[in-house]
Amino acid sequence: MSKVVEISPTTRHEGHTKLTMQVDDSGVVTRGDWLSLTPVRGIEKLAIGKSMHQAPKISSRVCGICPIAHTLAGTEAMEASIGCIIPDDAYLLRVILQCANRVSSHALHNILSLPDMYIPGTDTHINPFTPEEPVRSVAQRIQKLREVGQTVGEIVGGEPIHPSNPRVGGMYKNISPRAQTKINDLVKEAIPLARDHMDFMISVFKDWDDRPMASVAGGKEVEKTEKFGFHDQGYMASDTLYGSSSLDLDQKWYPERWTEVRPWDWYQGELEVSLEDPDYPIGGTTPVGTKVWPAMEACTGVPLYDGAPIETGPRARLAMFRNYDRKGAMGLQIARQMEYMDCLYGMLDAVEALDTNGKVIADDIPQGDGTLGWAANEAPRGTDIHLTKVLNGKVQWYSLLVPTTWNFPTVSRALEGAPWQLTEVIMRAYDPCVSCATHMMVVDDSKKVVAQKLFQ
Amino acid sequence: MVLGNYKNCVSARAADPAVLSASQDGGIVTQLFAFALEEGIIDGAVVAGPGDEPYKPEPIVATTVAELMEARGTRYTICPNVAMIKEATRSYGLDKVGIVGTPCQIQAVRKAQLYPMGMRSVGDKIALAIGIFCMENFPYQGLETMVEDLCNVKMESAVKMDIGKGKFSVYTSRGAVSQIPLKLTHKFEQPGCHVCLDYVANLADVSTGSVGSPDGWSTVLTRTKKGETIWGKAIEAGYFETKPIEDVKPGLGLLTKLATEKITKNQKTLDERATFGVDKGLRNPYI
Repeated sequence: MSKVVEISPTTRHEGHTKLTMQVDDSGVVTRGDWLSLTPVRGIEKLAIGKSMHQAPKISSRVCGICPIAHTLAGTEAMEASIGCIIPDDAYLLRVILQCANRVSSHALHNILSLPDMYIPGTDTHINPFTPEEPVRSVAQRIQKLREVGQTVGEIVGGEPIHPSNPRVGGMYKNISPRAQTKINDLVKEAIPLARDHMDFMISVFKDWDDRPMASVAGGKEVEKTEKFGFHDQGYMASDTLYGSSSLDLDQKWYPERWTEVRPWDWYQGELEVSLEDPDYPIGGTTPVGTKVWPAMEACTGVPLYDGAPIETGPRARLAMFRNYDRKGAMGLQIARQMEYMDCLYGMLDAVEALDTNGKVIADDIPQGDGTLGWAANEAPRGTDIHLTKVLNGKVQWYSLLVPTTWNFPTVSRALEGAPWQLTEVIMRAYDPCVSCATHMMVVDDSKKVVAQKLFQ
Repeated sequence: MVLGNYKNCVSARAADPAVLSASQDGGIVTQLFAFALEEGIIDGAVVAGPGDEPYKPEPIVATTVAELMEARGTRYTICPNVAMIKEATRSYGLDKVGIVGTPCQIQAVRKAQLYPMGMRSVGDKIALAIGIFCMENFPYQGLETMVEDLCNVKMESAVKMDIGKGKFSVYTSRGAVSQIPLKLTHKFEQPGCHVCLDYVANLADVSTGSVGSPDGWSTVLTRTKKGETIWGKAIEAGYFETKPIEDVKPGLGLLTKLATEKITKNQKTLDERATFGVDKGLRNPYI
């Protein structure tokens, strides 16, 4: 007999979501929906008519963890639409900024993931806030990595949160030789730390994968299932580190393969909660009898690639470009840790190649003729694609396809076969960024539903 | 308290004749920043560098003594130095920032340190704030009118401008001096200066200016522990000649008198703003 259980809100990720699941008698998910409840802010609609310089600064405010992704994807989408090629040194500065943000974001996500995990070889959940070893020094190492990421972002981007330096046509400023040296020193300080940290995190995730039983952050231990968090969806990535755009000769993302459906074509219909666990940490699950309607409540569109949901993010990048093949929730977590070194060495290579006297702004910045341009940025959480049409310096049309939006339906599929008490672990493995995912659509206030996205 | 809190006051000038060759008075700001730069107390300083037009300064981040030397001399017009303090910690990559400014600019620096609105990681990077005495400032067009129309000197010919002894004086590269009484300059003053209650940069680490000391010398007030330490080291290293302020004419008496006059006059302007309209007033930023 199938029952309905709901975890709302979910925790330890960015934004506001819930998990609405149908489970069998043993508590294993047979159909799960993970959906955004974050209010829609409508960035894409309000950008219309604004200048091409302003729109990326607005879309940066979609998210404060990965503002770099939205600034760069937005700026480069504008550049792709108007046909503006930026100078090499501006590109190098953007690469440094990109890598710095990814280090910071992955390290932040470690803090969010660790409470579900155990100190390897023990049955003690990791509390990142404890003053006791060995966790204390792990927490300090995470903070140091974040500090390096944010400081480098501050130097090249102008600000680590909502970078001020990128602009359509390049960057406002190059950096001084002193700043170049400082970045080099910071990165070299972080490399051994990151290597140790990556090893530690991978051992923690492998330890979790090998356990027969587990719980969420100190809750009730349940038996894990084989193939925890597996799904059969494909992967999508445009690069291992940076991204691709419609200006590239060798484009790595294909707009014609993208379609989008409405949440009510994808999510479950009206349900009533029939299973409740008041002991689920902390505060219990949704009370029995509550009416839920995922198809109406979801605040994102459902983007599809080749007609199906896909996974994007660290594992997708490694799977597509490095033959990585570990599946499941922990496979994704491990892939994320494996990206630390690429980011740090990427930063080092770029800062060494940078000419601090080089030009960072294109001589000619066309005003645009309404051509469709797109740019994909490999955000910490996956491929962040911005599409736009710029005419006479003004945005005519703007669309954001954000990593977590792509991952929403994929995670929903990956929940199947897992005990419902551990579904948050699967969701967290995707490092959800829900305010990123929920930036579009038009809300029809009178019916309390999400109206259909208006396509060109 | 019109001179603010200070630990020590002396009359001083730079020991380096190269600094003095084009400095406004005793070369205190240039020499002290040069010392701090050489000693690693600062990695760079925000100063009023040369701009596009003569006597129109542009804030720059100076990281060499040569760049500091370019910024010598008073330009009696607005130079938004505080606009550069965040950038100094960003693309310039500085960890220890020096800044020179008029009293209002030092107030801005201190406010940014205490209430950092959009000033992430700037506050703890301010290593040395040098304040200069300031009675009032002029917009560039006002200065241009004073120099070109009232003093009949082309801006390009001017090598030095000075306000002192009740006169605005312009010195030319050919040795001529042109003076006008200060009362002719009042209408060109920047209106915002009329609510300023700080003459001697009360909030700086070290404040300096011409009033109180003889020509070629400056009055120096060391205010904070940091300012006192750096000044002490610079004296020890032989960077400055000093005289006790009591031994020089006109000394602290005149400085106190001018400070009192500025504050009294501007406090009155502030008070009048409260009843500027009929049953309504203008905003007072101090309350």
